[in-house]
Amino acid sequence: MLEIEGLEAGYGPVRVLHGISLKVPKGRVVTLIGANGAGKSTTLRAVSGMIQPTAGQVRLAGKNITGLPAHRVAQAGLAHSPEGRRIFPNQSVRDNLILGAYTRLTFGHSRPRGDISGDFERALDLFPRLRERQYQLAGTLSGGEQQMLAMARALMLNPDVLLLDEPSLGLAPVLVEEVFHIIRRLKSEGITMLLVEQFAHAALAVADYGFVMENGRIVLEGSATELQRDEQVKSAYLGH
Amino acid sequence: MGCLVARRFKSFEGVRRVKFRGSWLWWGMALLGLALLPREINEYYIHQGVLIAIYAILLFGLDVVVGYTGEVSLAHGALFGIGAYTAGILSTKTAWPFLATLPASMAVTAFFGGVLALPALRVRGPYLAMVTLAFGTIAQILINEMDFLTNGPLGISLQKPDLWGHALEESEYYYVVLAIFFLTGFLIHRLLISRFGRAFEALHGSPVAADCMGVSVYRYKVLAFVVSAAIAGLAGSLFSFNELFIAPNSFNFELTITFLLALIMGGRKSRLGPVLGAAIVVLLPNILDDIQLFRWLAHGVMLGVLGLFLWRGWKQGWNHWKSWIIPGIGALALEISSHRLQDMTDWRLTIFGALILFVVYYLQNGIVGWLRQGKPAVTEADFPLSGEGAVQPVELERRSVAQTTPGPLLQVSHVVMSFGGLRALNDLSCELAPGQILGLIGPNGSGKSTLMNVLTGLYVPTSGEVRFKGQRISGKSPTRIALRGLARTFQNLQLFGDMTVLENVLIGLNHRYRSGMTETLLHLPRFVREEKAARARARVLLDFVGLAGEASREARHLPYGQQRLLEIARALALDPDLLLLDEPAAGLTSAEIERLIAVLHKIKGQGLALILIEHHMDVVMSVSDQVMVLDSGRCIASGLPHEVRHDAAVIKAYLGGGEEAQHAGN
Amino acid sequence: MNILTQLVLSGMALGMIYAVIAFGYQSTFATSGTLNFGQGEALMLGAMTGLSLTGEIMGGPYLNYWLMVPVVLVIGSLQGLVVEFLAVRPALRIHSEFGWIMSTIALGIIFRNVAENVWGRDDVPFPSPLPTTPVHILGANILPMELGVMVGALLLMGLMELFNRRTLYGKAVVATSSDRGAAGLMGIDTRAVIAFSYALSSLTAAFAGVLIAPITLTGASMGSVLGLKAFAVAIIGGLTSGMGAVVGGLILGIAETTTGFYFSTGYKDVPGLILLLLILAWKPNGLFGRAAVQKF
Repeated sequence: MLEIEGLEAGYGPVRVLHGISLKVPKGRVVTLIGANGAGKSTTLRAVSGMIQPTAGQVRLAGKNITGLPAHRVAQAGLAHSPEGRRIFPNQSVRDNLILGAYTRLTFGHSRPRGDISGDFERALDLFPRLRERQYQLAGTLSGGEQQMLAMARALMLNPDVLLLDEPSLGLAPVLVEEVFHIIRRLKSEGITMLLVEQFAHAALAVADYGFVMENGRIVLEGSATELQRDEQVKSAYLGH
Repeated sequence: MGCLVARRFKSFEGVRRVKFRGSWLWWGMALLGLALLPREINEYYIHQGVLIAIYAILLFGLDVVVGYTGEVSLAHGALFGIGAYTAGILSTKTAWPFLATLPASMAVTAFFGGVLALPALRVRGPYLAMVTLAFGTIAQILINEMDFLTNGPLGISLQKPDLWGHALEESEYYYVVLAIFFLTGFLIHRLLISRFGRAFEALHGSPVAADCMGVSVYRYKVLAFVVSAAIAGLAGSLFSFNELFIAPNSFNFELTITFLLALIMGGRKSRLGPVLGAAIVVLLPNILDDIQLFRWLAHGVMLGVLGLFLWRGWKQGWNHWKSWIIPGIGALALEISSHRLQDMTDWRLTIFGALILFVVYYLQNGIVGWLRQGKPAVTEADFPLSGEGAVQPVELERRSVAQTTPGPLLQVSHVVMSFGGLRALNDLSCELAPGQILGLIGPNGSGKSTLMNVLTGLYVPTSGEVRFKGQRISGKSPTRIALRGLARTFQNLQLFGDMTVLENVLIGLNHRYRSGMTETLLHLPRFVREEKAARARARVLLDFVGLAGEASREARHLPYGQQRLLEIARALALDPDLLLLDEPAAGLTSAEIERLIAVLHKIKGQGLALILIEHHMDVVMSVSDQVMVLDSGRCIASGLPHEVRHDAAVIKAYLGGGEEAQHAGN
Repeated sequence: MNILTQLVLSGMALGMIYAVIAFGYQSTFATSGTLNFGQGEALMLGAMTGLSLTGEIMGGPYLNYWLMVPVVLVIGSLQGLVVEFLAVRPALRIHSEFGWIMSTIALGIIFRNVAENVWGRDDVPFPSPLPTTPVHILGANILPMELGVMVGALLLMGLMELFNRRTLYGKAVVATSSDRGAAGLMGIDTRAVIAFSYALSSLTAAFAGVLIAPITLTGASMGSVLGLKAFAVAIIGGLTSGMGAVVGGLILGIAETTTGFYFSTGYKDVPGLILLLLILAWKPNGLFGRAAVQKF
C-alpha cells in the first residue's frame, strides 16, 4: 500500500535520512523502531509532505506522492498523526474531528453529515471519552485524551494508510495500555498502519513487521517475532 | 601619530578591513574627482551633489539599523526632519553659529533615537517597524502643530551657513559637506568593523545567542538607534543649510521610503552602497522629468528582461518560464505607461514602490552585493596572524572563582517551570561541583531543554531557585548570567550566519573589551591592544576545536558538524566556569561524533564543568562523571554512568521500555 | 455634559471603524504571521471606488450606496489577493520578514500614488446615504451615519466571527493559525487559506472605508494614519482577540474625539500613536492577547 524507496530528507543543512526504503502492505501494521533521534519521525514527515524529501520516492497505492505538499498527500488518502499530537487546542473536540475529515467535505459544510456522520459516530464509539467531551476545547483535554483525539482525527480522513508517530509519548501507563488496545482494534478492522515507537517492545507486540533505524538508516528488518528474538535488538532497544 | 597607529593596525582588521584597504585608492581618486568637480559643473548640479552627500551621510546611519541590526526603521525621515528643525530653530531663533548647530542637532536626534528604541526591549520586526512609523507620524504632527517653535506649516527660512564670519557660497558649502561626508563615512566604517559592528550584526543573526554570549540585545539595539539617529540629525542639519528653507511636509513618509529604497538598492552593510543609493534617488526625479529619457529607459528595461529571459531559457531550459511572468508584466506596464503618460513626475512614488519590490525580490543585496557576486571569499593570507603555524597547547581560561567559592558550582533547588497548565519542570533539584561533567538524558519532552533555558535565564522559573557560584541567578537576565561565566550551545544552532567563523568567536570575546566607543573610533592604544588580543584568542579557540583553517568563512557555509564545533568555540570564548551543551551530537555523522568526543575530552581535561544533554549514549557514557535522567520534568535517577545504565526505572522510561504498561516511571 | 456624551458617541463610531480594520490585521496575522503595512491604503481604495460609484467624481452616480457596498467588497477582496500574491507569498517562500514588511509598504505606496493620480490629491466629501440632520440621543446630537457606522461595523464583525466559528472554512482558518503543519496534514491547503485571509482582510478594510467616508473626507491620503491607528487598536486588543479589538477601538476612538475637542484637532492622532508606543513597550501581547512560549 505504501512504498518508500531511497528516501532522503533533512532540515536545512542537516541531512537526517540517508536513503530509507520500506514497504507497508495493505492491511498490515508495520513498525519503525530505533533510538531517539534516529530519524523515525523525520521519515514520517517526509512521507506526509510536512518536509520535502531531497531524494527517493514515495508511492501510495501505486500513485507517486513524492514531494507533494501535505494537503495533497492527505487528499491522496494518507493520514498522519504527528509526534506531539498537534491537536488544535482552541477548537472543540468536535471541530477537531470535523477538520480530520476536511478532505471529504465541501466548502460550507460545517457539521458532520452524509457519509462522514457515520465515521464521526464510529470514532466516538472507539474513543468513548471523546464523546463525553466533544464540546470541550481540545486544549483542555488531558494528555491521554489528546492522544486519543489525535488518533480519532486521523481516522476521520478514512485513510488508506495511517501513520502514527509515538502515540504513547508522555502518557501514564494505564493510558499507554489503552492506546495499544486501540491500535490492536484498528488492526483487526484491517487498517494499514505505519507505527513509530520509542518503546520497541510494545510496538513489536502489535506489529506484523518491523524496521530498525539508526542514524538515518534502516539497519535491520524482519517480522515482529524475529525482531523480538533478535539479540542485537534485545540488547539495544528492549533493555534485557 | 594617529596615522602610525592606523598603519600598525591594518594588519589584523579582518575581512571588511581588507576590502576597504583594497579600495582606498578608489576612495582617494573619488575624493580628488569630487574636489575638482565644482570647477566643471553649474550650481544646480553642485546643489544636487550636496544633496547626494547629505543623503549618503544619513544612509550610513540608516545602514547601522537596517543593514546591521536588521530592523526596519520607518522613522528616519522624521529624525532627519528633527535634525533639520533643530538646526533651523537654533540658527534663526538663537543665532547659534553653523558649526555649533551640527553637534546640537546630533544630540537632540540621538535623544529621540534612544526614546524610539525603548520599546525595542520587548518588540522587534514588524512591531518595531510600526513603532518607528508611529514615532515618525507623531514627529511630523508635532512639527506641524508646535508653531510657536517651528512656524508650523509656514516653515523656517535660514541664512546661508556662516563660517567664522564668512557666509558660505554653494560651492564652498559643497566642500564642507564633502569633508563631513568623508569623515562620517570613515568613522562609521571604523565603528562597524569594530566589536560594536559585530554586536549589531549578532543581534540580527540570533538575538538569543547574542544575549547568551553576554552581548545584551537591548543595550546594543538602543546604541544602534542612538548612533543612527545622531547621524540622521547631522544629515538633517546639513540639509537645512543646503535648502535654506524647511517645512513640515518635506519630512514625510515619502522621504523615509526614499531613504529605505536608496539603502536597499545601493546595498546594505557597505559604505559604497549608501553613496550609490543616494545618487540614484536624488537623480531619479531628473530622469523622470525628462519623458524622452524615461521612454528610452523603458525600452531598455523591456529589451533587458526579454533578452535575459531568452538567454536563461536557452542556457537552462524553459521550465522556469513562470517566474518570468511578473517581470514581464512589470516591463510591459512600464513600456505602456511611458507612452501613455506625458509626465512621470506625479508617478514618482509608484516608480519608487515598484523599485522596492524589484530590489526586495531580485536584488536582495543591492547593487553592491550584485557587483561583489562571484568574487572569491577572502583568503587566509589576509590574516597575518594565522601564519603562526604550530600551536602551543591551549589553555582554557576560567574566571577562577570556582576554586575560591566553597560549595557546589551550580545548585538547582526545587525548580518548577510551568507553561500554562503544563509543568515542564516539576520540583527539580540537583547540584554540580566545579569541574564535574553531568550527562543529562531523558525522553523527548522530558524537560531537558527547558532546564537549559532556565539555567541560562531565558526562562524565569515559576518557583524555586538556581544558584551559580554561590549567587542566585534565577531571575537575572541571560546576559548577566553569561557574564558570570555560564555559557551554552543550542540544540537548533544559533550561529551568526552572515558573520565569519572568527567573528562568531569574537562575539563571545566581547566581554573582554574595556575600551569604549571613543577609543574604538580613534583607534587609541588600549583598543588596538584589546582587538589584537581578542583576535589572537579567537584563533586559539578555533584551533582548540579544530577550525583554525576556516576562520574567514561565513559561518552558514560551514558543514553542519563544524557549525556545532563553532558553537562550542564561541561558548568557550566567554571563559566560562560552566558550559551547557544542548545535544551537540545531533545530526552529526559518526566521524564528526568522534571529533566531538575528542573535543569534549579536551575540555574535560581542562577542568571545566559541563552539562551535556545528549541522545547518543556513547557520547554521554564516555564523557560524563555523573548522569541524571529526567522524565516528565522530574529526576528519576542519577548516579555514575554505568549505574544509571542498569537502573530499572531508566530502562523502562528511556532506554526502551519492557512491557508497554511499565513505561513512564511515575 | 451633553458635549461629553456626544464626544463619547462619536468616539464609539470611530472606534468601531478602527476595530473593523484591526480585524483585518488579525485575520492575516492569524494565518501567516504577517501584516499588511498597506492596510490603510486598502481602506482608502474601498472609499475611493465607493465614491466613484455613488458620487459624481467619475461621471457617476452609477449605483446607490447600498448597491455599491457589495461591489466594493468584491473589489476589496481582489485587492487583497493582489497584495498576497505580489508581496506576501514570495516573501514567505524565502522566509524573509524584511521582504514582506518592505513589499507591503511598497505596494501601499503604489496604491496611494495611483489613487492620487486617478482621483486627485484633494479630499472630497462623500455623499451620505442617510439623512444628515442629527438625531438626539441622551441629550447629544449624533449623525444617523454615525449610528450606521456602529451598526455596520458590528454587523461585519459579527458575520466574521460567525464565519470563523460556523463554517468549515472558518474552522480551517483557525486550524491554520494554531498549527500550520498539522492543518496541512488534515488536507487543508494552507497557502490558499493565507491568500483567503488577505482577501478577507482587504475586504474588511474596504468596508471600513465606505463606512467612514460619509462622516469624514475622502482622499488618497486618508488611509495611512487610519491604518496605523487601527494597528494600535489591534495591538491594544492583542493580535489574537476579536473582543480585544472592539474594546481597543472604543478606547482609542473616545480618546481621540475628546483630545480633538479639548486640545486641538491637530493633535487628535497623537493619543492613539502614543498609546501604540506605550502598549508595545509595556505589554506587546496586548491587554487580551496570550503570550506565546518561545522555544530555543
